[in-house]
Amino acid sequence: MKFKPKNKLNLWLLISFLLASTLTFWLNDQLSKRVGDISFNEELDDSFFKVCDETRILQYYSVNANYQNGRKALKKEIWETIEPLTFKASGYITFRFIINCDGEIGRFRVKTIDSELKKNKFDSGKIKTLQKSIENLKHWNAGALGIKTFDSYFVLNFKIEIGKITDIF
Amino acid sequence: MKKFLKVIKLILTVLFFLYTILILSFLFLSPKETRFNFAGNFQGNYISQTVFNVLTFQYPNYSDAFFEQSVPFNKRGEFARGFELLNKAVELDPSLHLGYRGYMKLRFLRDYKNALLDFSRLDSLTPNFEDAPWGEDINFLRGECYFGIKDYSKAITCFKRNIENNTEDWVDLNTFVYLGLCEYELGNYEKAILEYQRALKQSVNTPEAHFGLAKAYLELNNFEKAKEHILKAELNIEYKRKDPYKEFQNELYLSEILQFKRKLTE
Repeated sequence: MKFKPKNKLNLWLLISFLLASTLTFWLNDQLSKRVGDISFNEELDDSFFKVCDETRILQYYSVNANYQNGRKALKKEIWETIEPLTFKASGYITFRFIINCDGEIGRFRVKTIDSELKKNKFDSGKIKTLQKSIENLKHWNAGALGIKTFDSYFVLNFKIEIGKITDIF
Repeated sequence: MKKFLKVIKLILTVLFFLYTILILSFLFLSPKETRFNFAGNFQGNYISQTVFNVLTFQYPNYSDAFFEQSVPFNKRGEFARGFELLNKAVELDPSLHLGYRGYMKLRFLRDYKNALLDFSRLDSLTPNFEDAPWGEDINFLRGECYFGIKDYSKAITCFKRNIENNTEDWVDLNTFVYLGLCEYELGNYEKAILEYQRALKQSVNTPEAHFGLAKAYLELNNFEKAKEHILKAELNIEYKRKDPYKEFQNELYLSEILQFKRKLTE
């Protein structure tokens, strides 16, 4: 099949447009997604937990989101519940979740590493117990800039040494 | 009209191609420093990670790119990926990145023993040079590590070395606070008081020093002094040592001060 010059121009226009629009969509996607973002997953997340602005969930360190009286107080509050737990290895269990603008928490995600800081697995039942203990905490301070509160991601680590939790921070 | 339409189509085709070429040439062909700065400014965004992936593919020995790429992962609790990248940076240029890795292990993971290993290795690579990982004196950070593993004597040695190297007036005043804490833990309450007073010499508004003094005086049954300093700790709590990313080992909260105050008045 032979293209006429007019058809050729149309074809080039189509190709250039497709390339430019694909690149624009890709760029938009790249600019809107961030490391550690947590989107709602109906299989994992409580549908009653709502964020105030899905498009603007900040990091805890940008808006000073924290537990009332710090991680120290949090540790003290859950220590009795989690202290008896034992694990088969050493490492870290890290929870990342959202503190919404009203100081409620949800959308938990877990990452685990061994003492060499490489991915590993801990007993999922015990991870559930840890998550439950966090969910029972009620004194979260939503992140704020001035008087306006924001949704933000929070990170909480459980350090495990020789099978026992030795620190929470 | 047909000619006009043809010209418009031609212009659009050129513009669309130019737009694509410009973006792709920036991503793949622009100077590596320009792309590094761009990716650093968009830290945490996927575009930043993509640019770092391109950079490390094109320049596999670019240790700074591996280091900078690791930052958002570690800040956001994805340590496996974060340390995988940081380890690569250390492997490529240990003297440049060991200090930061040790700092991250200390402050973000409270992995005191491995942080100490990194600091020692860094020290051996830079003889006759006082390293300052992430802007803090290496002996201060080592002291914090030993404090974390409750080896208070070794912590004292490190904090004292920090004072010798930086002099009494210029050293980070938290060195004195930690010295006070170590002496307190060892039961040397008079010594603890002297250390906290050195901190107050640098800044009279140091709540951690006032709180430490209140506790030490209480151990020595000096209730008046304990009361005096717990009130000063409360008054100066705004000046406490804090970091938006992490809680310090000795981080002080108003609730602790108030609890101690109640204990004193009971």
